[in-house]
Amino acid sequence: MSTQSIAFSAWQYQGRLWRKARLWFSPLVLLLIWFQVCRTGFFPEQILVSPGVVLETFRELWVSGELQEHLGKSLYRLALGFVLGVVLGITFGVGMGLSKTVERLFSPFFNAIRQVPSIAFIPMFILIFGVEETFKIVIVLKAAFFPVALAAYDAVKGIPQRFVEVAKVYRLPTRHLVSKLVLPSTVPPILTGMRLSLTRAWIVLVAAELLAADSGLGQMMEMGRQMFRIDVVMVGVILTGVVGFVLDRGCQWIERHLVRWNT
Amino acid sequence: MAARLALYVNEEETVEAAGGTLSIRGLCKSYALEDRQVSVLKDIQLDIKPGHFVCIVGPSGCGKSTLLRLIVGLDSDYAGEILLDGARITAPSLDRGIVFQDHRLFPWMRLDENIALALLNHDYPKAEKERRVAEYIRLVNLTGFEKARPHQLSGGMAQRAAIARALVNEPRILLLDEPLGALDALTRVYLQKELQRIWMERRVTMIMVTHDVEEAVYLGDEIIVMDAHPGRIKRSIKIPLPHPRDRASSPLQDIREEILNELTATSPEPDHLEEAVRI
Repeated sequence: MSTQSIAFSAWQYQGRLWRKARLWFSPLVLLLIWFQVCRTGFFPEQILVSPGVVLETFRELWVSGELQEHLGKSLYRLALGFVLGVVLGITFGVGMGLSKTVERLFSPFFNAIRQVPSIAFIPMFILIFGVEETFKIVIVLKAAFFPVALAAYDAVKGIPQRFVEVAKVYRLPTRHLVSKLVLPSTVPPILTGMRLSLTRAWIVLVAAELLAADSGLGQMMEMGRQMFRIDVVMVGVILTGVVGFVLDRGCQWIERHLVRWNT
Repeated sequence: MAARLALYVNEEETVEAAGGTLSIRGLCKSYALEDRQVSVLKDIQLDIKPGHFVCIVGPSGCGKSTLLRLIVGLDSDYAGEILLDGARITAPSLDRGIVFQDHRLFPWMRLDENIALALLNHDYPKAEKERRVAEYIRLVNLTGFEKARPHQLSGGMAQRAAIARALVNEPRILLLDEPLGALDALTRVYLQKELQRIWMERRVTMIMVTHDVEEAVYLGDEIIVMDAHPGRIKRSIKIPLPHPRDRASSPLQDIREEILNELTATSPEPDHLEEAVRI
């Protein structure tokens, strides 16, 4: 190995370090400001608690197992509602993409409902499904359904006609048509739709839990608020953010590894 | 196994014997545009002998690409007859290959996988398919690039891969729809030579649509000059010069001049005027 290439790899390594550092830059700055503002004592402690207290509360909630229970409950609802929403969304989207009849029948209704924010459905869903589990799973399902259905519809519509002609010319048998053309050209956009809907579903779920739940991260925050435990609320806020971030990054990672030709 | 192999040998023999005689009788094609019918091709008569290289030239809108789409079988809605070795063409078939202006390689597949795509409808044994793919990759001089993805190839390389994909089935007819139109001038000249070499090696019937009259006279045994609105055959010129040809030879230049005069002599129609203004 020549000195030049060693220098180059050192430079590359530094580049990677810098990228890692950039990732932590904004959270660290925010943390620092938070610290400083707490030290001035400008806000009463019931309104703004210091990062140290939040960390301590986090530890307490973790040791008691309360946090894991809330988090587990929320993630369970998210997973169940998301899987149902994705399955239904893909089915519906592909159906609309393939069949003109299905498209004509459902497209106006679909596009109208799509404009209504998921949160606006919460009161109605509570009336229909009650405040129990069903309501939360249905609201997650609803939030997940639309971005995935839309992505699947666009993906099927967007299969390049040029490639369909190639498939026709070589008379590709149906199973090869699916595996060599339909799946590779539709899976990437559908994955992007799934990523979008997963983070949206997470936001909607936490909001729903804030309003009506007996457990879950949202409920933990709501209880904290009622008992003036702003530290518990902060733990919930931060954890909600972290979970959303991890879900999004995880999906991006899966996308990158499944769609390697797009680089 | 032996019986199966024997079957393939027979099939190859029949392909060679059948050759690829294309006869087009009274072909008409029209589209419905709003409430009126627009005639794209009118009364096309064409006979192409096996192993011939035929080039089709003509102004834009003369229906030359439509003609190729009909021959390949992507469109079966036409009047008249298109017969390949006596059988009417109604759908795509592996005995007709096509190369489009864009290479149309699937971006998610490697070069060898893209070429093997054309063999998916065959039930050859795996080893035979691999042998064929390797043979045709060699034919177009892409050995060593088997594992490359289309975005890693240059335009000329991608187009050569598309030619290999079209030939790997050993079709009776290869249709070329302005295959070199999107390439730079040097690559185009190089690929013209390559195409001539491949044609001389394989002697498969080739029909090529092109805008480039020089390309047409360099490659073609016969040049079909078409006219537009409605698309029809204006003239057919035989070029009885042997291959490989010298691009600069004077008989070739004379024919080129003649065809160019023929193409530019027609009074420009409104859409051509527009085109001229835009340029």
